[in-house]
Amino acid sequence: MNNNSCDILLDYFNDQLSEEHRKEFETHLLYCEECQDELAELEQLVEDLPYAAEPVNPPEGMKGRILSTVKDENKNITPLAHKQTEAEGKSSYAKETENKTKNKSWMKPLIAAALTLSLAGNGAALLYINNQDNEVAEEPPAKPINESLDAIKQSLTLSPSSGVNAEASALMIEQNEKMNLVIEANNLPPLEGEETYQVWVLKDDQPHRAGTFVTNAEGKGAVSYLLEGDKSWETIAITKEPNANSQKPKGEILLSSPI
Amino acid sequence: MQLHDTELFKRIQTHDEEALELLYDRYEKLLFSFCYRMTNNSFLAEEIVQDVFTKLWTKQRNFDETKGKFSSWLLTVTRNAALDKLRKKSVKTYELDERDALHEDPSSVETQVEWKEENEQLQTAMKTLSEEQRGIIELFYFKGMSQTSIAETCGIPLGTVKGRVRLALKHLRTELSSIKERGMQHEQ
Ligand SMILES: [Zn+2]
Repeated sequence: MNNNSCDILLDYFNDQLSEEHRKEFETHLLYCEECQDELAELEQLVEDLPYAAEPVNPPEGMKGRILSTVKDENKNITPLAHKQTEAEGKSSYAKETENKTKNKSWMKPLIAAALTLSLAGNGAALLYINNQDNEVAEEPPAKPINESLDAIKQSLTLSPSSGVNAEASALMIEQNEKMNLVIEANNLPPLEGEETYQVWVLKDDQPHRAGTFVTNAEGKGAVSYLLEGDKSWETIAITKEPNANSQKPKGEILLSSPI
Repeated sequence: MQLHDTELFKRIQTHDEEALELLYDRYEKLLFSFCYRMTNNSFLAEEIVQDVFTKLWTKQRNFDETKGKFSSWLLTVTRNAALDKLRKKSVKTYELDERDALHEDPSSVETQVEWKEENEQLQTAMKTLSEEQRGIIELFYFKGMSQTSIAETCGIPLGTVKGRVRLALKHLRTELSSIKERGMQHEQ
């Protein structure tokens, strides 16, 4: 195996690699059993270490501050649902929002999350959305996220292959000169065991991984992925894969669209 | 207990505020203490704990029950959030400091039931390590430093860092296991 790659395992563990090197290492990790074993061993060896921390009393009022900020986060990331109904009376507001979020607006929190998400963390940014996240906030939020949404470069609807009864859409969001791809899909067939849905972007018929996701009980799933470089991708596609590790598509293309 | 954690996590994913509070209460002190241990800064530690719960609430992190204990997963998420914060704030604590490595500040020692036993066992095990090994663990795990920085800080060849980290952690684990074993025999 490539010794250079094996040598950076600790830096990968400590999230010290550039995006590019991290992805390279993750690819290496798929094939290098030595690194897989070492990483598993490392995770196990450090498992107890957090308990080396002496108990320290949190500052006064921390609980109240954190809980209210966290709950507010929920309101801040669902502004579009509110915006759509802003003009309407408050009594119809909740019901209206509920109906709409079931169909369209459930994706908005994910966009906001993708924009604030640290994509440099260990492991892929795997986002899981379930139907329950359409919680209705009591008041419209103070801060909409329009600035963030301005960065959307392209919005696509993927077409299902014949015999497939599913929907998916994709957004390309530019952020800090990098392109975030946000995919959301509905009505996908259930997964079994380690199966995952895999997003691919293609150029010259060469597929590149562009996000892995799983679906909830209702067949909904979503993922945000940071696209590398300035490649002019030609096609986007979704397949079902036996596990999260496929480097080339093994399953049939379920949904696709030219970019 | 573990079942409850997972259950609470699932409920938090559905924006159940009660579940959020329950899980928060359960882990507040451990997470805060761990973050404080990593940053030596209670303001940053609070921010990190907030980041962690925000990530749970906004579903930026997904827990896979088949991959182990919820508490271990949550602590990993917390450590990553802390490393992220340390990087962003460019907080650099590169001095290899014996007090830091052992963290024996008597004023902060309280008899907490939460993880008192684990903590004592770890401290005992840590003491069996050489000063260099404790330093390596400090820099690698609690400071999350790159191999290059560890090599520079400790004045050792880059190529030896990985081996030394592994050896130090293995030594610690072996000591910890034997301490736990002795503890269990003692109880019987
Ligand atoms: Zn390797």
